[in-house]
Amino acid sequence: MHATGAANGRAQSGAAASRRIGPYVLITALDTPHTHIPVPERRYIARSEDGEHTVLLSVPLRGTAPHRFMAEASASRYLLGPFAAPAVACAAPGEAAWHARPYQPALPLPTALAVNGGPLSERTVCALGAALAETLAVVHAQGLVFAGVSPAAVLLTADGPRLSCFGAVRTAAPDGTPRSGLPGLEPGSLPPEQAAGGHPRPLGDVYALGATLAYAATGHTTPESEELPSGIRVVVGRCLSRDPANRPQVAELLNTFAADDQEPTGSGSEARSAALLRPGWLPNRVIAAIAHQSAALLATDIQRSAVTPTPAFRQN
Amino acid sequence: MPTPLTHDDPYEFGSYRPIVRLGSGGMGTVYLARSAGGRTVAVKTMHASLAADPGSRTRFRLEADAARVIGKRHGAEVLDADTQADVPWIATEYVLGPPLDEAVRLAGPLPEASVRALGAALCGALGQLHSSDVVHRDLKPSNILVTAYGPKVIDFGIARAIGDEHLTRIGAAVGTPAFMSPEQAGGEEHTSAGDVFALAGVLVFAVGGHAPFGHGQTADLLYRVRYGDPDLRGVPASLVPILGPCLDKNPFRRPTTAQLAAQLHDGTGEFADHVPAVLLADIARRSAEVWLTTPERLSAPPDQPAETPTAPIARIPRRRMLLAASGLVLGTAAAGAGAWAWNRESGSGSQVSPAVGPSNSQVPKKQLDSIWQLQVADSPWGTVPAVLPLAVGGLVTLVAGQGLGGIDAASGRIAWTSDLMESHWQIATDGEQLVRMVEPEGSQQNAGKPGGFPLDLVSVSLVSGKAAEPFAQFTDFNGGISYNQVLCTADGVVYAVAGRGKYDTYFLASQSWSLFAVDISTGKRLWTKPLPARPDKSERLHFLSARVVGDILVGLQETNAGKVRIVARDTRTGTVRWDRPFDGVVPDRVQRPLATDSRNLYVGSGRLRALRLSDGTQVWDSTTARPGRTYGLPAVKDGVVYAVEKGHGLVAFDSDSGRALWEEQGNGGAKADLNAAPVIGTDYAYSKRSSALWAVDLAYHTPADSYKTTGDRFVAHEKAKVTIALGGHFLAAFPLG
Repeated sequence: MHATGAANGRAQSGAAASRRIGPYVLITALDTPHTHIPVPERRYIARSEDGEHTVLLSVPLRGTAPHRFMAEASASRYLLGPFAAPAVACAAPGEAAWHARPYQPALPLPTALAVNGGPLSERTVCALGAALAETLAVVHAQGLVFAGVSPAAVLLTADGPRLSCFGAVRTAAPDGTPRSGLPGLEPGSLPPEQAAGGHPRPLGDVYALGATLAYAATGHTTPESEELPSGIRVVVGRCLSRDPANRPQVAELLNTFAADDQEPTGSGSEARSAALLRPGWLPNRVIAAIAHQSAALLATDIQRSAVTPTPAFRQN
Repeated sequence: MPTPLTHDDPYEFGSYRPIVRLGSGGMGTVYLARSAGGRTVAVKTMHASLAADPGSRTRFRLEADAARVIGKRHGAEVLDADTQADVPWIATEYVLGPPLDEAVRLAGPLPEASVRALGAALCGALGQLHSSDVVHRDLKPSNILVTAYGPKVIDFGIARAIGDEHLTRIGAAVGTPAFMSPEQAGGEEHTSAGDVFALAGVLVFAVGGHAPFGHGQTADLLYRVRYGDPDLRGVPASLVPILGPCLDKNPFRRPTTAQLAAQLHDGTGEFADHVPAVLLADIARRSAEVWLTTPERLSAPPDQPAETPTAPIARIPRRRMLLAASGLVLGTAAAGAGAWAWNRESGSGSQVSPAVGPSNSQVPKKQLDSIWQLQVADSPWGTVPAVLPLAVGGLVTLVAGQGLGGIDAASGRIAWTSDLMESHWQIATDGEQLVRMVEPEGSQQNAGKPGGFPLDLVSVSLVSGKAAEPFAQFTDFNGGISYNQVLCTADGVVYAVAGRGKYDTYFLASQSWSLFAVDISTGKRLWTKPLPARPDKSERLHFLSARVVGDILVGLQETNAGKVRIVARDTRTGTVRWDRPFDGVVPDRVQRPLATDSRNLYVGSGRLRALRLSDGTQVWDSTTARPGRTYGLPAVKDGVVYAVEKGHGLVAFDSDSGRALWEEQGNGGAKADLNAAPVIGTDYAYSKRSSALWAVDLAYHTPADSYKTTGDRFVAHEKAKVTIALGGHFLAAFPLG
C-alpha cells in the first residue's frame, strides 16, 4: 500500500484505520517498497480523529533511538525557506515517537522515478538542484546542518520539492560511531566522513545533494561520470568528491543550476529557483500522480473509534 | 476562490458538514463539505425559492439521477443526495480540475492530441448516458471539468432547465446557446445526436479557441446554429473531416458517439501526456489548495439572530433572478436573503475607531468584520478576473462575468447592473466619469468595410449603468477585436489602443495596432501612434497599466518577448518622452494602478525605485536605504512612499530622497502579502497579511486593527471613506481612516 495508488488508498483504508499513532488514524503509507531505496523513517498519510486535519506523519524505524529522532524533529521546527518541511506537531514526552506536518500532495523522489518510468530530465534535475541548494543555503545560514539529504528525503510537490528527513544521519547513530550500513541510510548519499562517524558539516550536505541529483538523473546515487547529463556532470562529480575541501559551496551550486535564470531580481532575495519551477518542470505523469493522490485522499473516509460521543443537539 | 459560509448556511447535508462556499449563482450554492471521517466533497444546493417550484425540484432530482448514470469515471461521483429537503442538495466527489472554458482561457487552444483524447473520453461519457436513455442536452465547455486523468461531465438538470427558460425569452440577455444543436434551437426534440453536435462544438472550441457559431446576440446565434455554416478556423486539417459531419444540420447524418470515438482515439499514451503543462499546473494547484481550506463561517448580523431563519428568498423580484442568470451574479455573503439583498453591519465593531495612543500588543486581538460584503461570481465554478474595481463618484464598479455592476461604495447597495460588458480592460475612469468601448453587434469580419461596424467610445451613466450614444466613432478601426483597450482617461481626454484588420479570438500578426487620444467633448482624435504588431495567437494586452500625470502619459507596456517597459509619452502629441525596461517583474503581478505623484513614478516588485516622470532617470532606489530587501507594489501619498517589505511589513520612504522614514514595529508584518499595494488613509495604512487586512497606525507605526478577509486586491474609495477588497468571489468594504 502506498500513496500513489488511488484505489489502494481507498480500498485499504479500512484496514489501516485500525492503526493509530498519537492523535492520528493512519490512511496509507507514503513510500512504496518497490523502489528499494532506503527511507530513514516510516512515513504515513494520516488524519486526526475529527477528520479535519490530514497530515504527513513520521515515526522512527524500528531499532533507532526514539530520543534522537524526536530531538531532530524538534530542531526541524525552526527550519526556514520555501522548500523546508518542518515538523509542526510532535509526540508528547513519554509518548511513542512521532512528528507530523500538514499534508501536501507529494511523491517521494523514488516514487516519481517509478511513475515516470525512469530517470528525470536534465531540466527537472536542474530545477531540483537549484531549489534544494537554495534550501540548504538557508539551513546553513541558520547555523544548522541538514544531515539527511537523500533520494527518499526529497518529496515532490507540483510547485517544488520539500526536503524532509532532517537529521536522519544524526538519528541513525551518534557522532563517533561508524554509520555504514545502518538501516534507513541510503549508502550512496551518505558522505564518507559521516559514514566514518564524523560530525555532520555543511559540505556533507553538498555531497548528499550531489548523490541525490545523480539519482534523479540516472536512477542511482553512484553513477559513472558519463551516465550523467553533460550539463551537470562536472558539478555533480565535484559534489561527490571524497575530500570535502574539493566540493563546491552551496552558493556556487545555486549559481550553476540557476545559471539560465534570465530574471535576476537585483536584490537577490527572491527565490532564484522560482523561474526554474515554472509549469512543465515535472513530467506530466508525475503531476498527474500527485493530483491522483490528492483526489484519492479527498475521497477517503477514516474509520473512527467505535464510540464517538455525538451531541444530542447543537447550540448555535 | 472559496468564501466563508454565511451565518444561515445549513450546518449539515446528511453526513457532510459544509466548510466553505465554492460559489453561488442564481440557481443555488456549491459548498465544499466534509464527512466526520474527513472525506471532502462538493455539495450543490438549489435555492429554496426555486425548490418551491415542483418542476424545478423534479429537474434537480433528475440531475442527481443522471449524474449517477454517468458514473464516477466520466462524471463527478454522486455520494448522497436529498432532493426532498427544504434546500435540496447533491453531494458529489470534489473534482480536481478547471472547467474546459477556463482551461482554454488559461492554456490557449489545446493541442490536437489532447483534443482527440478529450473527445474520445467525452464520447465514452455520452455513450454511457445514451445507453441509459438519458440525453445531456446542455453539453458545453463550462459543464466539462478537465482532470489529470480525463474529462468529467457535470451539470445536467439545472442548466438544462435554465436553457429551456431562456429559449422562451429570446432577446433577453441570457447564457450562450453557442453549443446548442439546431433541432434544440428550433424548439424540436434534442436526441442523442444533438449531444454529438454539441460535443463537436465543444471540441472545435477546445482546439480552435472559439465556438463554431461564434457568440453575440442570442437571436443571431440561434439563427446561425440552425442555418449557418460552422466556422472551423483553427481546427487542424486532420480533424475537419471528423468534426464536420458531427455538425451536420440533419441529426440522422451525424455519427454515433462510438463511431466518433473510434475516429478520434489514437490509443497512445495517457491523458496527462497530452495535456499542456500550464493546464496541468492549474490542476496541481487545485489539488494542493483544497487542503489549505479551513472551515469559516461569518457571524450573524446583530439585528438578525442566527437562530431565526431568514428566508424571504421567495420574494426576490423576478427581474432580479433573470439578471442573476445573465452572467453577473451579485449577492451578499452575510444576509443570506437571496442573490440581491445587501447587508450593512452596524455596531459590530467594524466602525470602531482604534484606540488613541500606541498599542501595547503588536497583533490586533480581534479580527473585525467588513462594513458590507457582496458575492460576485459568474458561475458556481467561475471567479472574478484579476482586475481591480474602479472607484467612480460614489460608486464602485466591477466587471464580472458578462456584466458591469455599479455598487454604492458606502452602503454596498447594488445601484445597477448592465449586461454585455465582457472585457474589463475596455473601461476606465478619471474618478468622476466612466468611459468604455462598446463591442458592436454583428459579424466581426466586416469591420472597417462599408456596412461594417466601427469602434465606439461611450460614457456610462453613473445612475443607470447604461451606455450613452457614442461620443466618438472610428470606422478605420475594427471595433470587434477583443483586445482593444481603454487605458485611462484624464482632463477630458481618453487614451485607448485599437487594432485594424481581421478579427480573431486572439491577436493576429497581420493586425496593425495604434495608441490614440480622443477628446471626449468633441469626439476628435487628437493623435494616433503605431504600436508593434502582436504575434499570431498572442493574448497579451499591449498595456498592463497606464495613467496621466500633468502632460505625461506613463504606462507599463508588455513587449512581445514578455518583458515590461515603462514608457512615457507627451499627452499632447503622443511622442515618446522616454522608454526604459522594467526588469525582473512578472507582467501579471504589475497589472495594477501605477503609484505616481506630480514628480515621480514609484515602482516595486523587487527593489523599490523612484523614476523622474519628466525624463525617466532613477531618482532613488531602496537598496541605498535598505539593501537586500524586496518590496511589493508601492503606494504614495503626501510625499511618502509606502510599500510592504518581504518578511517585515510596511516601510515608509521619503518620496524625494528615498530615505527610509519608518518601518512597521513588531513582527506582525512577517507574513505580509507582497502582491497587493497598501492602501493609505489619513491615519492608517492598510495591508494584507495571512487572511486579514491590517490597519497600521501612521503615527505610531504599529498595527491597530485587523479585519477578517480573504480578499487579495484592495483599492481606496476616498469619497466614501472605505477600502474596497476584492476576492475570488466577493467584494467587501472596510474602513478607510
